[in-house]
Amino acid sequence: MLTVQEATVPSTPPTSSAEDCSIVTRGLTKRFRGGQVAVDGLDLAVPRGAVFGFLGPNGSGKTTTIRMLLGLAAPSSGSWELLGVSMPRGLPAVLSRVGALVEGPSFYPYLSGEANLRRYDAADPAADPRTATARIGLALDRVGLTAAARKRYRAYSLGMRQRLAIAAALLGPRELLVLDEPTNGLDPQGTREVRALVKEIADEGTTVFVSSHLLAEIEQMCSHVAVMRAGRLVAQGPIAELRAGETVRIRVETPDTAEAAAVLAALGLRGVRSGDGEAGAELGEEAPERVCAALVAGGVAVRGLAVQRPSLEDVFVGLTGEGFDVDG
Amino acid sequence: MSTVSGREVAVSGAGSAAERRPEAARGGGSAPGARAVSAPAALLRLLGSEIGLTFRRPRNIAMLAVLAVVPVLIGVALRAFGGPDDNDGGGPAIFTQVTGNGLFLTFAALSVLVQLMLPVAVAVVAGDSVAGEAGIGTLRYLLVAPAGRTRLLAVKYANAAVFCLAAVTVVALSALLAGLLLFPAGPITLLSGGTIPLFDGLLRIGLVVLYVAAGMAALAAVALALSTLTEVAVGAIASTVVLVIVTQVLGVIPQLSGLQPYLLTHWWSGFDGVLRDPIATGDMGQGLLVFAAYAVVFGSIAWARFTGKDVTS
Amino acid sequence: MSERTRRGRAMRWGVPVAAIAVVAGALGAGPVIAAVQGEPALPERTAEQLLADATKATRADVKPMSGTVIQTASLGLPGLPEVAGMGGTSPAALLAGSHELKVWYGGEGRVRLALPGRMSETDLIANGNQVWLWESDANKATRIKGADARQGAGPEKALPTAATPQLTAAEVLRRAQADTVVEVTNTERVADRPAYQLVLKPKDGASLIREVKLALDGETFVPLRVQVYARSAAEPAFEIGFTSVTFTPPAAENFTFTPPAGAKVEERTFGARDQESGAEHDRAEGLRETIKTVGEGWTSVAVLPFSEKDLKAGLSQGRGGGQSDGQGSGQGGGQGDGRGGQDANAIVDALLKSAKPVSGAWGNGRVVQTKLVSALLTDDGRLLVGAVTPEKLAEAAGRR
Ligand SMILES: Nc1ncnc2c1ncn2[C@@H]1O[C@H](COP(=O)(O)OP(=O)(O)O)[C@@H](O)[C@H]1O
Ligand SMILES: [Mg+2]
Repeated sequence: MLTVQEATVPSTPPTSSAEDCSIVTRGLTKRFRGGQVAVDGLDLAVPRGAVFGFLGPNGSGKTTTIRMLLGLAAPSSGSWELLGVSMPRGLPAVLSRVGALVEGPSFYPYLSGEANLRRYDAADPAADPRTATARIGLALDRVGLTAAARKRYRAYSLGMRQRLAIAAALLGPRELLVLDEPTNGLDPQGTREVRALVKEIADEGTTVFVSSHLLAEIEQMCSHVAVMRAGRLVAQGPIAELRAGETVRIRVETPDTAEAAAVLAALGLRGVRSGDGEAGAELGEEAPERVCAALVAGGVAVRGLAVQRPSLEDVFVGLTGEGFDVDG
Repeated sequence: MSTVSGREVAVSGAGSAAERRPEAARGGGSAPGARAVSAPAALLRLLGSEIGLTFRRPRNIAMLAVLAVVPVLIGVALRAFGGPDDNDGGGPAIFTQVTGNGLFLTFAALSVLVQLMLPVAVAVVAGDSVAGEAGIGTLRYLLVAPAGRTRLLAVKYANAAVFCLAAVTVVALSALLAGLLLFPAGPITLLSGGTIPLFDGLLRIGLVVLYVAAGMAALAAVALALSTLTEVAVGAIASTVVLVIVTQVLGVIPQLSGLQPYLLTHWWSGFDGVLRDPIATGDMGQGLLVFAAYAVVFGSIAWARFTGKDVTS
Repeated sequence: MSERTRRGRAMRWGVPVAAIAVVAGALGAGPVIAAVQGEPALPERTAEQLLADATKATRADVKPMSGTVIQTASLGLPGLPEVAGMGGTSPAALLAGSHELKVWYGGEGRVRLALPGRMSETDLIANGNQVWLWESDANKATRIKGADARQGAGPEKALPTAATPQLTAAEVLRRAQADTVVEVTNTERVADRPAYQLVLKPKDGASLIREVKLALDGETFVPLRVQVYARSAAEPAFEIGFTSVTFTPPAAENFTFTPPAGAKVEERTFGARDQESGAEHDRAEGLRETIKTVGEGWTSVAVLPFSEKDLKAGLSQGRGGGQSDGQGSGQGGGQGDGRGGQDANAIVDALLKSAKPVSGAWGNGRVVQTKLVSALLTDDGRLLVGAVTPEKLAEAAGRR
């Protein structure tokens, strides 16, 4: 199994200046009463326009971070900026330009979906009441809830509730969208729709900060990722950079494992291993077709040849320990 | 073209993220002058939303309905069984007067309801105001909207005060109607023995409504402060009601009679001052000062707590 | 950063703390302002000058005025709480707690006293020879005949809280004798008016009374407040005084009264009582003759031939005969007589229950002590009462 050394992943904030970032945190820490440190010295830099995946197992401190970013909870120490404005002083001015879904949907059960959105819209001092109906309609339309707009929230399914929460985050023109586990409770079809929606929003120039404990659900839409583990940031950077640090291996299926290993070693490849009907090595700079030719030339009966580019999932699991462990 | 500076609906359009990014940054509306909505108008909109929520909520409507029914029940009972004519039982004489003049049903009903039923209704609405939102999680979305903590608290209190006025008005109107339907009406005999015309009596009922509503609004501040301490609405409501009852008990313990002027409940029934001649403005003014003191102290406690607390629900 | 949030939190809580301080300040502001403002307000006066002025003011016609009087008693009667929950106009109720009385005085025999209760009011309106007692609780107006307010006291005495500052002050002034240390201060403030304060301290250590303070209005010399301090407490055991007062003629409507439609109207002749209480009155008269006093001034002790049975029987007639503290023997407050009797009985029971047995050369008995008054009921049928220590009573009991 391949592992990524922490050192190979750039975990220092990107060199881009704070002005180009939608979110910057410096040493952000949350210590709950009772002494538990839920977030420990977090240095995040979310570039403008990025779709930033905020990954980590359950209990690793993602929601706590988001609460601090949005001013719901005060950090024990550290500072942060949203959209280039220093927080928490700038919160009232900035939050109107930020849409957010925090720890699942919460609405008034006795109101319809539309009335719920109107309620949240009324709370935003920057929202124009004259355009409220249009904006609410559009937000409902974007999440596919137009048909259920007048139904009471109580009667919504879990998926519908999640969609309504996303709609609430899209009530106004947003420069930053913070989505905490937006695919929770959605079926695969819904997950795909959310992904498409995020792409669409990102295409409009909005920065999207999306947290998840499942890499697979957001991997395809993210331009950047950060990985949390037990309150600490263990990796951060553009997704391509994360991938670049990975080791690609070539694997040969053959009955002649010993010969195959010898050929691979002869090619100068490192990490050669063999056994049980296959042999493998790190591909390095070598081209796969040249390895194949060398094997055939070396008389190895090649039954199968595969280049193994480990998925980000593997990287993620490597960084966070066991994927399903709950931190805390 | 999506722009953020104006308040028009963000419309998706063609164009790459790279192209838009600088524009989004520029048009970020960080200039405060870009606001299309004035702050007072936005505050009124939030208050309107809050009031709409309060008065459309089935639970609150039911409470107001009960409050409206009680004066009618009192009136019907007095009509059916007659007033406690022989006053040996020591019952409040005000009930005796109802049978002679329907207008007195308003005073009688308020003097009964102000003891517990009105406070309970106010405790339910004000105690629920913050804790209830925290309990169902809507508080975090309001704050992220961003409602602003001080702004939201102010709106919550204003809404509770409006509910107080509405509840007292409902009782007064219901009692007035029932009184006029069930009993004769005419000039009012004041507690001091003087008599004033019917219309003056109605004006004085208006004063009573305002005074009692102010007393209830002071309780609302207490309930609001308790409401910021918990995420369990029932807890805030129950502790407010318990506080009211404990205060009432303290108010009748003779050894603690020195405490009375400081107790909120002691002043609630001070509206009988309008039935004196001249109107006991001094006493009622003192009552209003006590109400204001409670509102300021507990309002500021609510503020200090609410603006400083982590919303983790 | 955490320091900043901590500082922010401290500042936030500073707001309610400040609010509480402001409210507490407003509550305590009265005395503070008085201390600050009072100093230069009045020219100095000796006790004699002041007494003379005051006596003159009491004799002369009192200026028209109106105001609110509060009477507070904390006499420390043992066992009283059980009965103290009674109605505000019951005579016995005046022995504990705080009572408010509104006063309008229009001159020329025009007086209105109002005793507000919860959703009720008792009014005494005197206009020349027209005297009405209005009780809203009973919806009853009583016309009192034979009383003329122009002839001095009388109607004031008819109301349960008969003691206005004027009357009480006159009583205190009479007592100011050689056995008293008299001091005068000119920095008091009562009912928001600068006032002189006459402090009377008994010289005899056997007196339960530490001092009596009498505040006189700096301008009109009208007594504004009387406070009686017991030796055993820092707060006054008894206090009656104006909390607000204005020396402008009150509106004339205050002194006119027409029984409202539907009210019961009764007539009573002042002085001549109904038969039952007349009999009792006779007995009281007889009693008066048998009272002896031992000692003088502050420490005088009244000796009555009396037994427990007499005490109860007398009280159940509805007259507070046992109240020897010089006030509150609520005569003739037409209402609540029966109730008052019951209350008084209850008080007597409570008092007797708390009585301590004592004995001496004079015999055996039981003694009851309150903050201001001690009473000794001897087994040989004498009741000794005085504002003195029980030892002094025992001493008096020995002097037959
Ligand atoms: N209000 C709270 N009080 C104490 N501990 C909390 C509180 N909220 C969260 N935590 C703890 O903080 C840690 C991080 O929680 P959270 O941020 O919700 O994780 P995630 O969103 O990544 O699943 C967990 O261990 C959790 O138990
Ligand atoms: Mg979470």
